[in-house]
Amino acid sequence: MTLHSQKSAEVGTTVPASAPWAIRMRDVTVRYPNGVVALDGITLDIEAGEMVSVVGLSGSGKSSMIRTINGLVPITSGSLTVGDVALEATSGRRLRALRGEIGMIFQGFNLAGRTSVLNNVLVGRLAHSSLWRTLLGAYTEADRQIAFEALERVGILAKAWDRASSLSGGQQQRVAIARALSQQPRLVLADEPVASLDPPTAHAVMRDLRRINEELGITVMTNLHLVDLARTYGTRMIGLRAGTVVYDGPAATATDADFERIYGRSIEAEDVLGA
Amino acid sequence: MTAKIPPLDIPRRPRGRWKPWAALGVIALITAITMSPQWGVAFAFDAIARNWQNGAEKVLQLLQPDWAFWPRTIAPLLETLQMAVIATAVGAAVSLPFSLWAATLTNPDRVSRGIVRTALNVVRSVPDLLYASVLVAMVGVGALPGIIALVLFNVGIIVKLVSEAIESNDAGPLEAGRAAGGSQLQVNRAVALPDVWPSFINQTLYVFELNVRASTVLGLVGAGGLGLLIDAVRTYYRYDQLSLIILEILVIVVVIDVVSSAIRKRLV
Repeated sequence: MTLHSQKSAEVGTTVPASAPWAIRMRDVTVRYPNGVVALDGITLDIEAGEMVSVVGLSGSGKSSMIRTINGLVPITSGSLTVGDVALEATSGRRLRALRGEIGMIFQGFNLAGRTSVLNNVLVGRLAHSSLWRTLLGAYTEADRQIAFEALERVGILAKAWDRASSLSGGQQQRVAIARALSQQPRLVLADEPVASLDPPTAHAVMRDLRRINEELGITVMTNLHLVDLARTYGTRMIGLRAGTVVYDGPAATATDADFERIYGRSIEAEDVLGA
Repeated sequence: MTAKIPPLDIPRRPRGRWKPWAALGVIALITAITMSPQWGVAFAFDAIARNWQNGAEKVLQLLQPDWAFWPRTIAPLLETLQMAVIATAVGAAVSLPFSLWAATLTNPDRVSRGIVRTALNVVRSVPDLLYASVLVAMVGVGALPGIIALVLFNVGIIVKLVSEAIESNDAGPLEAGRAAGGSQLQVNRAVALPDVWPSFINQTLYVFELNVRASTVLGLVGAGGLGLLIDAVRTYYRYDQLSLIILEILVIVVVIDVVSSAIRKRLV
């Protein structure tokens, strides 16, 4: 036990506790209570350890797809299996346990601004902590160690005690990535993770996500709307339009014509981030 | 050289500009009715003129505080402050979970939220002096009914103001907590609470000020504190002693106001 914790105390030696997850979607349809059909009969297989970009205009259903995969949005019909869990038949405690294995990164970072960076990263340990420890804020030494290592992995360990709201946008998104990493996830979902960042910061954050995929082997699924980011980061690209899959193939070789088919219009300057 | 300005296409003035005037008219009418001798409250300003002599005498007495009286005011004054401190602490502790329970963001369940909100509306609709007079009959004369009355009064105020502050917070961090597999209670503690703290402390300081003021009069119905003494000196028409008590309350309220606004400035 002591030997083990000694070992994990060395920075950068954290490996995910368990194997990455695959996603199987079979004819998945999501209809919101207001009648809007967000996903329209999607059938898709994401293999364990893949780095996938999901591309589409806003309203194409890419955000709904990511939220459906961790159960934030319920499935109307069809079947969705994440790892070995059938999502349509999961709720309550079992759904929370599933979410505990899936890291999620948001466009707006979604940090609790008034508390420390460390406390925000420890939110990733909620599914693995007992209720009384959460209520007292008495996280275990092992949980804190995991949080510090996650911060080190995204290069902002020095900010651990700073208030989250005092950080820049790029730093806040790194804290959000550390929060997802501290879950020791089998799958990371990122919903437009760089849409609120300037180009150099956006590339740095995308490189962080790629490193998570390459070094830790975690399955990563990223929603993007910018052509060059989708081509550069990610091995596979899925194009969504009006809730259906209109492209599924390699990312690097996707042509402008492919993007025009996904977007339903010609590619413009605003669809490219640049360096 | 003289550029011809095309005729301006001024949009039509919106209708309904009479509405504020109509509202003002209704208010004036209601005020006139309440003051009218036939239907309104029976009062006449000439009472001031008739009792002028009497009033001047009281004011003169009030202007000459009986400084020698102060040793007898210390114990009741301390009791008043103790009641305010205890009631604030208990009220705030009780209010925190209820505040999270009463806000949509931290309690998505409509049924339990509705129950908590309805119960608090009932609690808030009863004035503190009424609580105190009923509680004096239930648990006897002394500080206890006063403290219980203040706690009820505090819970009503803090929960309303803090739960409203929670509603205006960003829902994103809570969604992130849920997405990480936290239960509602865990997410409320780890994510919502840090953002709630400033408004919670702010409202707690506010009710402490209210409690100091309120606990001075609760004694009028037998619920302990300075009020008992105020009632006694008032009965014997000792306006010189009453004015000393008023001065003491004034000093305490000013001191608390200065201290709490200094604390508020450090809360961001």
